[in-house]
Amino acid sequence: MPIPSSKYRVLVSTIAVLVFLGIWEIAPRAGMVDPTFTSQPSRVFAASLVIVPSGDFLHDVSVSLSEFAIGFALAVGFGVPLGLLLGRFPVLRYLLDPPIMAIYATPHLALLPIFIVWLGIGMQSKIAVAFVGGVIPILVNSMAGVRGVERSWVTAARSFCAREWDVFVKVILPASLPGVVMGIRLGVSRAVLGVVVAEMYQSQAGVGNKIMLYGSEFRTDYLLFNVLLVSVFGFTATWAVRALEEKLWTAGK
Amino acid sequence: MSISGWRSAPVLLGIVSFAAILLLWESVVRLGWANPFFISQPSAIADSLSRAARSGELWNNLEVSLREFAIGYGASVVVGILAGALAGRFRIVEYVVDPFLWFLYSAPLIAFYPIFVLWFGLGVPTVIAITFLLSVTQIAANTLRGIQSVNPGLLRAARSFGASERDLLWKVVLPASVPMVIAGLRLGIGRALMGVVVGELFGATAGLGFSIAYYGALLKTTDMIASVVVIVVLGVLCTQALSAVEARFDSWRTGPG
Repeated sequence: MPIPSSKYRVLVSTIAVLVFLGIWEIAPRAGMVDPTFTSQPSRVFAASLVIVPSGDFLHDVSVSLSEFAIGFALAVGFGVPLGLLLGRFPVLRYLLDPPIMAIYATPHLALLPIFIVWLGIGMQSKIAVAFVGGVIPILVNSMAGVRGVERSWVTAARSFCAREWDVFVKVILPASLPGVVMGIRLGVSRAVLGVVVAEMYQSQAGVGNKIMLYGSEFRTDYLLFNVLLVSVFGFTATWAVRALEEKLWTAGK
Repeated sequence: MSISGWRSAPVLLGIVSFAAILLLWESVVRLGWANPFFISQPSAIADSLSRAARSGELWNNLEVSLREFAIGYGASVVVGILAGALAGRFRIVEYVVDPFLWFLYSAPLIAFYPIFVLWFGLGVPTVIAITFLLSVTQIAANTLRGIQSVNPGLLRAARSFGASERDLLWKVVLPASVPMVIAGLRLGIGRALMGVVVGELFGATAGLGFSIAYYGALLKTTDMIASVVVIVVLGVLCTQALSAVEARFDSWRTGPG
């Protein structure tokens, strides 16, 4: 029963995407829309053949990727321990919760111009935006992960004379892992967004820089290829973390 | 008595922590340990805000941003709930919409900004389009999930008591999916606010995001942070309001789930 329905699902989804691509390809050819504004799948593909072999492309991708990697690694390295700590100690949490929530409710990209003033238009400001974007969901969900740990497990461990440290490492840490990973998943997309938008705002290199450049040159096909590239990266990264997440959930059951 | 005392402790500590941050910030600058050019100081920001309020600049920016927000978000609520409900009701719509929803959900949508500028021109329409696109995916995805998560047992029970399709929709499906839908509306507000601010950062002639970018380019840190503060307050107010609505709509649920 589930197998045919999932096959049907894939079929319908594939047809929908193909129809979309078909209309996108045919409409400009039929003169219904101006290809300057919409481009076409074939043109985007042709653009990819021009862009990818050029040395510029490798440079842009490596700049963007390293900004993301550094910013996100900092976000994980800082957000997870702090989140676990805040989840464990309520007084600390009450103290820091309001400012954290205020930052969580704010569009973090509004801080972009401040980072530019502080850190300049180079890679540092992008790393900072990726960090701020990633760290908040990681922190909040790690905190929630610790708070969601079944109390009876902690009590059980204590009644078997586990020390505070043992309780933390052997009970709380593994039990809060799904929350931590969920935070990481939410953080990934925000960090990717942060890097790209920061590069679009003001930068010297990077995929976001090219998106803005091609946009101002009306080269829709080049622009769309870069947008697609970022989307695929964001999608893959999120998907990878989600796969890890599902594994953890089933392992936890 | 003891319960109310316990409940007010987090609020009290929260106020204490905000006060401590402001105090620290102000004194670090006053003592000359940090350069006010970079981090400004709370008293200067308060001055800047009151000046902007008296000159009308603040209200003007607020009005522009709120109007863009209202149009973009309002449209995304209507379209998002409708699309999500259709996809939740009809399998085939779900399968058709699903890949696009997934793509839009995981793509950094703001990267489409230059294309929107090509389509709609620089300024308000582009900001509204970004705002709409950012929040509509969230609302549609949540509505869809909300409808899918309706307990099939409830549906079967209602059917076996002779409920019509219409009754099912109004009396079972909608009430049961409301919490998810409202969670989507709340998350959508955050994304819509992001859309307004970022859209204005890039190309606008008025609005809160514009004023951040404008003062940033002039290196007027105080005025820039003042605009950020307004956005923070706006974000907190909107999220709190929706959280209150959420709590209210969810209160009829007694058991878990």
